[in-house]
Formats: sequence, C-alpha cells, structure tokens
Amino acid sequence: MTRISRILSGTATLLLAATLPLTALAAPKVGEPAPAFSVADTAGTTHSLDDFAGQTVILEWTNHECPFVVKHYGSDNMQTLQRRYTEAGAVWLTVISSAPGKQGHVSAEDADRLTRERQAAPSAVLLDESGDMGRAYDARTTPHMYVIDGEGILRYMGGIDSNPSADPADIPDATPYLAHAASAVLDGEDVSRAVTRPYGCTIKY
Amino acid sequence: MPHQRRIIAHALTTCLALCAALLSVALSAAASASDPARSGSVSQPHIQAELFSDVSAVAPGDTLTVALRLQPDEGWHTYWLNPGDSGLETRINWTLPEGASADGIQWPTPESIAVEHLVNYGFKGDTLLLTDITVPADLGADTDTFALTADASWLVCEAECIPGSASLSLTLPVADISELSPHTALFRQGRDSQPQAADWPTRFVIHDTYLEVRIQAPDDLPTTDLHFFAGAAELVEHAEPQSVTREAGALVIRQPLNLYFNQTPGRFAAVLRHDPPGASASAWLLDARNNALVAEAGEVAGAPAPTGLWLALLLALGGGVLLNLMPCVFPVLSLKALSLTQGSAHRGHALAYTAGILLCFIAIAGLLLALRAGGAALGWGFQLQSPPVVGALASLMFALGLGLTGMVQLGAGWMGVGQRLTHSSGLFGSFFTGVLAVIVASPCTAPFMGTALGYAVTQPAPVALSVFAALGLGLALPFLLIGFIPALARALPRPGAWMETFKQAMAFPLFLTSVWLLWVLGRQTGADGMALALAGLVVLALALWLWGVAQQQGSRNKRIAAAALLLLAVWPLWSATQSVAPTAGNGTGHARAWSAETLAALRAEGEPVLVNMTADWCITCLANERVALDTHTVREALTTHGVTYLKGDWTRQDPAITDYLAGYGRNGVPLYVLYPRDGGAPRILPQVLTPALVSDALAEAAGAP
Repeated sequence: MTRISRILSGTATLLLAATLPLTALAAPKVGEPAPAFSVADTAGTTHSLDDFAGQTVILEWTNHECPFVVKHYGSDNMQTLQRRYTEAGAVWLTVISSAPGKQGHVSAEDADRLTRERQAAPSAVLLDESGDMGRAYDARTTPHMYVIDGEGILRYMGGIDSNPSADPADIPDATPYLAHAASAVLDGEDVSRAVTRPYGCTIKY
Repeated sequence: MPHQRRIIAHALTTCLALCAALLSVALSAAASASDPARSGSVSQPHIQAELFSDVSAVAPGDTLTVALRLQPDEGWHTYWLNPGDSGLETRINWTLPEGASADGIQWPTPESIAVEHLVNYGFKGDTLLLTDITVPADLGADTDTFALTADASWLVCEAECIPGSASLSLTLPVADISELSPHTALFRQGRDSQPQAADWPTRFVIHDTYLEVRIQAPDDLPTTDLHFFAGAAELVEHAEPQSVTREAGALVIRQPLNLYFNQTPGRFAAVLRHDPPGASASAWLLDARNNALVAEAGEVAGAPAPTGLWLALLLALGGGVLLNLMPCVFPVLSLKALSLTQGSAHRGHALAYTAGILLCFIAIAGLLLALRAGGAALGWGFQLQSPPVVGALASLMFALGLGLTGMVQLGAGWMGVGQRLTHSSGLFGSFFTGVLAVIVASPCTAPFMGTALGYAVTQPAPVALSVFAALGLGLALPFLLIGFIPALARALPRPGAWMETFKQAMAFPLFLTSVWLLWVLGRQTGADGMALALAGLVVLALALWLWGVAQQQGSRNKRIAAAALLLLAVWPLWSATQSVAPTAGNGTGHARAWSAETLAALRAEGEPVLVNMTADWCITCLANERVALDTHTVREALTTHGVTYLKGDWTRQDPAITDYLAGYGRNGVPLYVLYPRDGGAPRILPQVLTPALVSDALAEAAGAP
C-alpha cells in the first residue's frame, strides 16, 4: 500500500502538469499574433494585416502637432527610417488615431500634404478616426512603434528610441530601439529589446 | 505715511502693468540685480519659470536650497519623476562653481491626472522643485561670488503638450555667515508641498502580472483613501486600480504591471498619499527596495517584518495541529496514535513520521511554487481543481474506510491498522504513514488553510516553504509529543476489545469525506461523471474484497483476479474525470456568471457590482453563501440597491479567475469584492460574512444614505 500511495502522488503530479492552463490576454504581446486591423488609407484603399503576409510591417502612430513627433520629423529622423526600411522591403504604415476635432486629426488631403511637405516615405497613411486600431494595439503615445514579422507575429512594441525628450539634439545619443528591432526582424534575427517605453504625447482618442 | 506708501504702490503696479509685456526681460534683469536670491521670471507658452535661493549670501561649506518655480496656466500641468503613461519629467542640469555639488530634485507630492483612458502623475498650478546645493569649504579664496545656472526643461500639458526650457542663473555674494533671503515663505510653501520622509521599511516583489509592495506603516494608517505613486517609469499600469490591504501588520499595495514593463528596478522612490474626504491630505516619501536584492544582501526576511513571518509560522503551526481533527485525517491518525502506546522506540517512529509529513508537504509546496514560477496560474487548492486528483482521493478515502470497517481484510499495510496495534513495523512504515497523512489531509487542507497559505505563496521561496513546513510540523506535533513525553502516551486509553469497535466507527467520517469529494467531482464532471466514479468505487470494493479472500486462502489466482479488477476500477474513475460538467450548474438563482468582460461592461456603466469568487471544494465559500449571500436579507438588499451579483467558479482551473484573484493579492478563494456605484475604489469584504455586514456594505456601495 505504500507503493499505492506513492503511485497516487506521482500520478497526481503528472496529471497536474498535464492540465496546466493556457493564458490568453487581450493586450498585444510580443511573440504572439499581432491584433488584426482593417483601416482605409488617405486614398480610400483599405489595408488589413492579412494583406501583408510574408512582409515585415512597421506601424508608426503619429500626430503632426505633437512636439515629440515634431522632434523626429523636424530632424528628418523619421523620414530616414521610413526610406531605409521601405527600401529594404518592409511595409511602413503611419497611423493617425486622433478623433475628429482633436489635436492631430487631419483630412485625407491634409495627411497627403503633410507627407509631401515633410518628404515622408511611408507605404501608406491610415486614418483610424474611430481609434479601433489604436485601441486594439493599446497604442498610447505619439510616436508609438510596432514591428510585425511576415508570419503576423508581433516582434517589437514601444518607443522609437531610448531618449524620452522633445529635444532633437538628443537623437544622436539615443539607442535607436525601433531601428534595431526592424533590422533584426528583416534579417531573421531575434530582437534584443522587444518591449521598451513608448514616450510622447497621449494619443487623442 | 501709510497713505503715501499706498500711492507709491499703486504707481508701481500701474507702471508694471503697462510695461510688463515689453520690458519683461529688462525687469528680470532688474529683479535679479536688486535681489540676488531670484533669477527673474522667464515666460514660455502656458508657463512661467523662475529660480529662487533661500539665502542672499552664502558662506563657504554651507548648503543652500534653490527652488525652481513653475507656474503653468490654469488647467495645465507639469510632470513628476515618473510621468505616468505619457509626458516627461521636469529636468534640471546644473552648472556650478568647481567643488560645488547639487542633490536631486525634492519632488512635491504628485497627483493623478487622468487623460482619456491613461493616467499621468504630475503637478497642477504653482509648483516648487527644491534642490540642495553644497558650497565647497575652500570657496572665497579668489572669488567673492557664487554663480549657479539651472538649465531646466519641462513638458507642460493640458490636452496638448508643449515642451519648454529655460536657463536660469543666480549670482550670490560670498559672506562669512549665510544670510537668509526674503523668500523663506516660498521655501516653506515648497517644503509643505512635499511628502514627509518616512523610515517605514518598504519592500517590493514583481509577480507575473502585478507589483506587490509591503510597507511597514503604522497600524493607525487606514487602508482607505490611499494612493501609492511608484517613482519608476513603466512599472505599474497607472490607470488600473490599486488594491490596498493590511496583511500581517503590513500595508500591502498591489497594482497590475505595465504593459511596457521591461526592467526590474533595484529600488525606487515612492509616495504614499492619504487623502481623506473633508480632511487635509498627508503624504510620505518611501524608499521601496527590491525584496530579492534585499534578501541577497543578507537582510534576512525583510519583506514580512520578523513579527509578520513569526505570526504566519505560528498560525500555520496551530492550523496543522487542528488538521488532526479534520474528518479526513482524524480516523487514520487517532488509530495511529493509539498504536504508538504499544511497544518501544516511539521516538524513532515519531521522528520518521514527522519526516514523512514534512517532506511530502514541502514537495507539494515546492511543486506549486515551481509551477507558479513557470507561469502557471495556480493557487493553493490547485490539487482539487483537477478531477483526476479528486477522483483518486475519493477512492482512497473509500478504500481506507472499507479497511477500517473490516469489510475487507487486508494484510500488513496501510489499512491493516489492527495488525499495527500489535506488530511494530519498520521506520519506513512510520515515514510513509506521514506521507499518507498529508495525502489524506489534502482535501481538508485546502479549504481550511487556503487563505493563510495564499500569503505564503506570494512570499519568496524560503519564506513560503517555512510556512508550509510549520503547517506540517503542526500536523505531526501530537505524535511527536506522544513519542517524547511518556506521560502522554500513558494517559491514552489502554488498547482492548473496544478498539475494534472504535476502529469500525471511524470508517464513517471517511465515507462522508468520500461522499463530499464525489459531490465535488459531480460538480466538476456532471451526474454522468459521478455515476461512473461510483461504479468505479464498486469495482474497487470488489477487488479489495477479493484480495482479502485470496490472502486468507493463499490463492494465487484470486490474487491475480483482484489485481486485474483493481486496474479495471481505474477505468470508470478515469473516464469519469474526463467528462465536463455543464457550465450553467453554478446558479443560486440571483447570481450571474462572472467574466472579466461582464464585470468591465457593468463597471463602465457605473453599476455597483458584488463579485463572489468561490469553489465547490471551499467550505468557507459554501458556508458564506448559505449563511449570508443566499439569505433573504441579502437577496432583498441586492434588489433594493440595484447591485449586480456576479459569481465566479474556481472549482476547476480557470486562468481568468486566477488572474483576477492575483489582482487583489489573493491566491485562493473565497474573495468578495464590492464595486461601488459610479466607479469608486473597490472594497474587499471579509472572508467571514454575515447578512447584516453584506447588506450594509451593499447599501454603502449603492450610495444609499
């Protein structure tokens, strides 16, 4: 009977190990499928995450009046990143989640004009007036950056770099988290810092 | 004279009003020239900045304090050292004479500023950021002034944000003795706005999904109207509610981890703010230190103060002693105790038995901690969330009961208690009695000790394991005493013919325990599952009976048949545990099923909600429902006050409920949380409920007078 008690406790252990729960969280998580979206761009074309299967997708939340966004556009840092990664084969989607009447909300024409004037080079600018896409990604600030790999797995979320300031002079000293992550995903490597602090203005949902 | 003074003052203000717009720069210079202790104000969009000193002249070797005064427009704010979900803390870069040094900013007490669904920590209105500056002792040999420059940068926000900066300078004359400036009132105001430094030991632990901070705050500090500000960026989810409780004398704060949490700090500054309605607020500055690092540094058991740990150990020990009286344990152990009155070498047996108990307890606790560390959402009582384990325990109780009644004759072994009374078996026998004691005790342990053990599993491993060991020691204590105190052994009744009757009577508590476990299994797997399990028990009884007969007759064939039946008995039991109960089964009529979404939706509408987290194997939970929650009084109070009653069932594994429990720092059921109308802070109700307590709490939550 001592043996039975041993077998019993052993069996209990095995059964417990077999019934471990699988946790599912609503918030986006690095290493798991990125939230789906379906949003129209400034030309009226609807883009979904599924459309970009096999391609690396970079998401950038923006609000052209936010000083932190101005820091990265005024210094040409954002445009440089856009050109570098779209030329390397990635899809770069700039997302505007400002609600109508709030700071950063623009018409399709104004969004295109901003792209022209700033010589920006995104693949498309998505107008997420309802904020649905922003909420699905739990996007909090402008800028706020995400990298999704060709399998649709979220690989990076957080800040554009390590220096939370509004001063463009700080850019050269910062660790460029987004650039590191995007390059790693394009090269099929692991992202060393996959979650970082997003800094900037609150998104005006 | 007063009249003249008034005229002069009037003329001055008029002049200032006229000239201010054009001459602000010139005026700043003038102010600076006339008063060396202020820099002159700099205007930036929506904010004004100026630097002040608390002395007009400095002496070498002294420490002076300077204040950066930020005056944002009405409705605008600047940020604390942890700005929250967005924003940017104010920074000051100092340029000082050689040998001088500046300390960090002495931050005022922050406030929570909600923006949409996010929360920022910052300051509205007139804000004074004080900094201490040390003047070198050898100053003054070749200079008669002390010049300092603050390059301040900030972000000022309403809904929109504007970054700003200013370079503010002071040039103070050097004197033999420091001379107070005319701005002492301003500095007093600045110090009054700061939290008081408190030396309450504060330790934090980062769990899977939440931050837990233990503060050894004075006992008279209530748990209501408190807010904890963590001075580390991206540590907590700022917009999520905090739970504040008292546990083992410490104030315990729990808040979900930030989605962007990526680095465990060694320590961080924190502010605890107490803001009772209708009274003035107080705030304390704390030095929160990482419990793991503190423990490594050799400051033993920092998290729970020694008293907290000792209290927990003492409670666990007492709980262990009481376990001996539980219906699942008492029959087996009382007979074991009587067996000890016979023969010699009690001490060795008592020690072997204790070792068996401790080892088994620590093994189960270690398994639990390891699974939790591996990310499994488990709590104490996890053994009983698995139907196979419940089924196995029900069979074990039933088999033990059969052995005691004498219905089946078993040879030397666990159920051969009769033989035990006369034959002394080996030390291994005693050791495995200990192991078995823990296994049979386990259905009683979970509901009985669950809440106390919930405390243990949130502690670092050594502390947690000590609590479990104390519980095991308590369970073993009666035997240790009988083994080591001969007088006690002598005081036990002499064995005799009455023993057989006593032994048979003791079978019935075991059968009752088995019935209870089968009921739990029925709730987990449905009526079909329970029927299968019962069929399994019949086959088990048949197998045991056959085994006894085979032993008496020395028949090998019957023995093999018995073994085959034993295996067969496993099959219906196993299939029983594979079926799943219909989920609707948990209704008590007036309760709705809990889900995180339902709760969130009700909360979003501002509805008052009562959440009851329960499990069928939790006796406290069932008792509370019977005597309080399901009574007429409480049902009526729920209806009258329009409180929605949500019930979550943790009888089976449910990660969503485990997460929810963790959010309130719990690791077991019951948990009762009451959310007041219009989104106030949730209140945790006690673990023992009365109808009056619940209906009063409901009335309060619903905002009734």
